[in-house]
Amino acid sequence: MQKKIFLLIGLLWNALSALSGQADSVHVLRPVTVAYTLEAGSSHIADTYLSPIKYSGWGAGLHYERWQAMKFSPERWVMQLRFGVRAESTLNFAGNARMWFGGIDFSWAMMRRWKVANGLTLGAGGKAGLALGALYLERNGNNPVAAKAAVTLDATCYAAYNMNVGRLPVTLTWQPSMPLTGVFFSPDYGELYYEIYLGNHSGLVRYAWPGSYFRLDNSVMADLHFGATSLRLGYRGCIESTSANNIVSNHFTHSFVFGISGEWLSLNPRKKTSGNPRIINALF
Amino acid sequence: MKHHIVSLLVSVAFGFAAVLGFGACHEIEGYENDLKGNFEQLWKIMDEHYCFFEQKGVDWDEMRVKYGSQINARTGTKGLFRIMAAMLDELKDGHVNLSAPFETSYYRNWWSDYPQNYNERLVQEKYLHFNYMSLGAVYYYTLPQNVGYIRIPSFESGLGDGNIDNILATFASASALIVDIRDNGGGNMNVADNYISHFIGETVTAGFISHKTGSGHSDFSAPRRMTVEPVAKPHLIWGKPVVVLTNRSTFSAANYFAAVMKSLPHVTVVGATTGGGAGVPFSSELSCGWGVRFSACPVLDPAGNLTEFGVEPSEGCAVDMNALDEFSGKDTILDFAVAMLTNQ
Repeated sequence: MQKKIFLLIGLLWNALSALSGQADSVHVLRPVTVAYTLEAGSSHIADTYLSPIKYSGWGAGLHYERWQAMKFSPERWVMQLRFGVRAESTLNFAGNARMWFGGIDFSWAMMRRWKVANGLTLGAGGKAGLALGALYLERNGNNPVAAKAAVTLDATCYAAYNMNVGRLPVTLTWQPSMPLTGVFFSPDYGELYYEIYLGNHSGLVRYAWPGSYFRLDNSVMADLHFGATSLRLGYRGCIESTSANNIVSNHFTHSFVFGISGEWLSLNPRKKTSGNPRIINALF
Repeated sequence: MKHHIVSLLVSVAFGFAAVLGFGACHEIEGYENDLKGNFEQLWKIMDEHYCFFEQKGVDWDEMRVKYGSQINARTGTKGLFRIMAAMLDELKDGHVNLSAPFETSYYRNWWSDYPQNYNERLVQEKYLHFNYMSLGAVYYYTLPQNVGYIRIPSFESGLGDGNIDNILATFASASALIVDIRDNGGGNMNVADNYISHFIGETVTAGFISHKTGSGHSDFSAPRRMTVEPVAKPHLIWGKPVVVLTNRSTFSAANYFAAVMKSLPHVTVVGATTGGGAGVPFSSELSCGWGVRFSACPVLDPAGNLTEFGVEPSEGCAVDMNALDEFSGKDTILDFAVAMLTNQ
């Protein structure tokens, strides 16, 4: 795939050079690695505001992810942007009550990377994340919903490894992330949302740290480069456990991920570029 | 090289976190899904969330011993249900229920120990002559004494402001209005507020609400004031005298409605003390799948008094249905209200 991109860029560059007649100079191109993925798997929820019982079921989601080397220091720094939506349906152990979850999440990360060995790149940095959602327990009367909202600053890192399986180029990526600080929403222990609606906003915003808001996201992906577009397969898991206002909420998901990924490069024909462009990939 | 080591260490740290992630999770107390486990779970849910232990004078620890000791090897599922239901009945609370697939427990004595004070058929036949107008569950009629009569049997679902306008417009020439909420078992406080908004000219204090802040029996938030605003113009607001009829089966949101209406200067409450139900109920469940409902958030009246034990009629307006009157086709309470409004 890289060869194809190089070829395309080279042709464009030759055409532009011929038109402009200007001298070559070093120019950096930063392709964007984009992935659209679907995920499906298991979900396990317990939220003591709604019920002391654990619920289990299925969950599915849709994610968009984008990586790019950063402009100011493309060799060393990369950024990652993620957006996802997710829905889950779970049952209690007796199978007579259903709890739903629906949520969205958005994050933007910046990571320093090191090319450790041939084909292996490691990165570590920070991430700003926003997560919004709600649990809905059908059987409850006046307390059927537990709203979820968090704005966090996370630590994150990744490892990317290029390899070949037979003649097929494959990129393996592992990325965990964990919030270190931030704020999250929690109603008071026995507070009605009606009371919040009446204007009682006291104590709703809680300080998040791993002791009150523990969340560990883990993703292991394999991009199988069949051509210009790659097949992405992998696993994504999330362990989230919060404790605030004497309410404990645990939410675990494990999902199989599949989708497509690819590298995109946008060139502006009106902008002068050098005759010897350097392509700096986002992941490796 | 230093950077590489740092990066590797970070990655390894996350790896450990991944492995130990479940260990970092906050614990939720679990119970065995057996007779004893479900009993203990119910006891604990109530112990940590029920809001009227002190007002009811119930020693909940004592109940655990009293009823827990009744569970033995011969106690079946239905036997367990009855033991649990009996324990919950000690709270004497109409908002407390235990729901199993075969039965829902319900403490009835809060109304069954009192006279009913209402006979719907009698009112419809002898006073409204089956000639009333209906809007949803609400029906209304102009009595011969030029007094309007509105029957609101429930606050589960409300009427739109335009509907209420039409009812009030029907009584435009009436001298007064009777709102009958006897046997109204409640529903939604917002629905009650919507009706109240047609009887006030300015924003009023409707009461105070608080909630539990922790598992202790005395862990409550400071009461927060609730208000009701008058319905927006051009909707109709009734400013003439009003009598609200109540009985013991006036409960929950209807109890709240009675308390708020009673605080208004042009409103009189006539009948019997309401049934209470001043704790907004929460739901929870047991490992076996049974549901439990219980009072969780105390609601105080506009004067700051708890109305869990009912709203008393206005001074001098406590009236019971006379059995002889009822036998002869008269509603003592309704007659009292009409007489009071027409100064007879």
